[in-house]
Amino acid sequence: MMVNRPWLRMVCVGVLLALALGQEALASRLDLIQKRGTLIVGIKSDYPPFGMLNAEGQLVGFEADLAADLARRLGVQLQLVAVTSTNRLQKLEEGSVDVVIATLGDTPQRRQIATLIEPSYYASGAAIIAPPNAHLSNWSDLRGKKVCATQGAYFNRAMTQRFLLDLQIFNGTRDTKLALRDGRCAAWLYDDTGIVGLLSDPEWGSYESPLPSMMVSPWAMAIAAQERGSPLERTLSDIVADWHRSGWLMNVEKRWGIKPSQFLADTHNLWTRTGSDGNPVCTRQANGDWPAACRNKLLLSSTDVTGLYHFGLLLKERAGLDLTILYDVYDRDLFLAGLWMTLQLMLGSIVGSLLVGCLGALVAEGLPWLRGLVRLTSALGRMTPPLLLIYLVFFGVGHIMVSHYGWTFDGAMIAVSCLSLYTGCAIVFTLLEATAVLKHQEPGFTLSWRRLPRVLRLAYAAVVASLINVVKATGMASAIAVPELISASTAIVAEQGNPAVMMNVLMLIYFLLVMLVMQIFNAIERRMIRHGVR
Amino acid sequence: MAFAEIVQILMVWTPFLLEGFVWNILISLVAMTIGTVIGAVLARMRLSERRMVAGVSLTLTELTRNIPTFVFLFYLAFLIPVEFEFAGRLYLFPAWFKASLALSVAVVGFVSDNLSVAWRHWRNHDRLAALLFVPNWTTYLLIIVMASSTASVIGVGEIVSRCNVVIAAVGSDEAMLWIYMYAICYFFLLCFPLNWAMGRVKQRLLAHVHRAAV
Repeated sequence: MMVNRPWLRMVCVGVLLALALGQEALASRLDLIQKRGTLIVGIKSDYPPFGMLNAEGQLVGFEADLAADLARRLGVQLQLVAVTSTNRLQKLEEGSVDVVIATLGDTPQRRQIATLIEPSYYASGAAIIAPPNAHLSNWSDLRGKKVCATQGAYFNRAMTQRFLLDLQIFNGTRDTKLALRDGRCAAWLYDDTGIVGLLSDPEWGSYESPLPSMMVSPWAMAIAAQERGSPLERTLSDIVADWHRSGWLMNVEKRWGIKPSQFLADTHNLWTRTGSDGNPVCTRQANGDWPAACRNKLLLSSTDVTGLYHFGLLLKERAGLDLTILYDVYDRDLFLAGLWMTLQLMLGSIVGSLLVGCLGALVAEGLPWLRGLVRLTSALGRMTPPLLLIYLVFFGVGHIMVSHYGWTFDGAMIAVSCLSLYTGCAIVFTLLEATAVLKHQEPGFTLSWRRLPRVLRLAYAAVVASLINVVKATGMASAIAVPELISASTAIVAEQGNPAVMMNVLMLIYFLLVMLVMQIFNAIERRMIRHGVR
Repeated sequence: MAFAEIVQILMVWTPFLLEGFVWNILISLVAMTIGTVIGAVLARMRLSERRMVAGVSLTLTELTRNIPTFVFLFYLAFLIPVEFEFAGRLYLFPAWFKASLALSVAVVGFVSDNLSVAWRHWRNHDRLAALLFVPNWTTYLLIIVMASSTASVIGVGEIVSRCNVVIAAVGSDEAMLWIYMYAICYFFLLCFPLNWAMGRVKQRLLAHVHRAAV
């Protein structure tokens, strides 16, 4: 019962578009915090010594201390929530945290998605950590090489563009660490502050950070985009200014054993400096802003653009639709590469599943002494969640292969194999059932390579249903950082902050792809009927 | 890493992982409930005398079949706010419920298809054939339990994401393989007996149906 009429198709697409949900903002966040009596702050749990878990499983670190001081000054309880580079701005936008203090670099793009508090409380730059004897003396030595990175880092995009890195983006630092250790990439592009923390770990003692830091960026606290100019922004801004004036941040830095940063020293000097009139240089102006000398110098984007870029920006300004995949070359390439990868995954999984299914059925029928084993294996395969299987093979088996034999496997290949195995096991049972039916009809029927088409024909609907399911499940490859559509979309959202647009585009494209695959299978069936294949 | 050491790790973390697996079952049951209610309405509509009503039901069923659950999970995670205010009070929209909602889409299509068939049998006083819906439904629940592991990608604390927590806490790469395998055992221990039992129930029902037909 598949969609055959064009209007039905239109209705399907229409309903999907209508799913774009409206979101309502709550009144004032500061009121909300007071009402709740708790300040919810998102900090990192995997970034020692800035945000980490202690032996009791509590979030502690440089940034946890800042959060505690914020709550103390606001006179409310503090609740710390662990966030990652990927989800910190998402959590802010969906409102599950009030403030994010999570090693977030201040960039113009992020200012579009969130309200970043000035002045900044710390600063870091992009550097790499590489295995010993990597022979890297220059950033351009990395051109075209596989470089691991953690999703959401502000410099990923610019560094890729500048040094033509073949960036492999992972969801969290844990995954990136494993990937670097297993030799999936030549180096790991990471914050210099994070690298300092890592190199102090004896396990990483032999690794090095041979290249100078690039794109030094101040770290800012972030609150939701709609809080721009709100009492919350002003309160937080005053608190950070006070931290710099009193030099308190340098004490916290010392407390956590971080080597003194130039940024804090410079900022402390700036905020305690007095002008020629005897007043501090950094005091709020009549309009409430800090003077230009005390603010982050951010480049403004140029407005005189033409062509698609112009059209894209116009769409954004007029309709609020930020289709960066249309006008931004980097995003467009990322998305198209994702689409191509998804198509490959879909095709690979269809072929792989059929192969596993047919071979399994042939072996089970052709070699009776193996029948029990095939049935047991297929039952096992069907009862293993595919995502768990992908993790097991990619991380568990992958690690053993690397440490014992030095072999590394491609993530996409692993995803296709695991999905094929899972679906193929279901197909084995379908084909065996169909064979049983044929045996019942014609005593003496045996399954062989030549009679496989007849069995496939009988089981067509069930086999196709399994194949459609595997096509829908190809997104699971994103869990191991295969650069397919979901990975591309979430990376763009992390960078541009346009979840509503990107998620609808992603959903629509996947929906159309699934429909296309269904249509192809329908067409094959119609052809078979026309040619009298029973 | 010695075998005894691995067993030791698994033992220590068993309550934590088991609790995660209870979440998988809970998420799946909620998804089945939502999906069954909506699917039943669609199934009833499909049997309507009016072609318009039946057509709408078919279209909606078709729509649910085209929506990839895994992508829909991300869709809901990104687009449904976490907290919402209603009548002056704050309510949470937990991530696990988003996972249930995403999974329920697949259930809707399944129930709509299977229940409409069962309904027809019931009307024709073919009660036993209609009862086949029960083992089919249970088998589908198991498929959803396995699919519930994908909730880990949006940060639900079910068994797979707990495995990752354990791996990070243990800090040993060798333990990874065993922890994931151990988690697979949970799924197998739940699914294998139930699947087998449902297969038997189905066979018996079919045998009765055939005997009745003869």
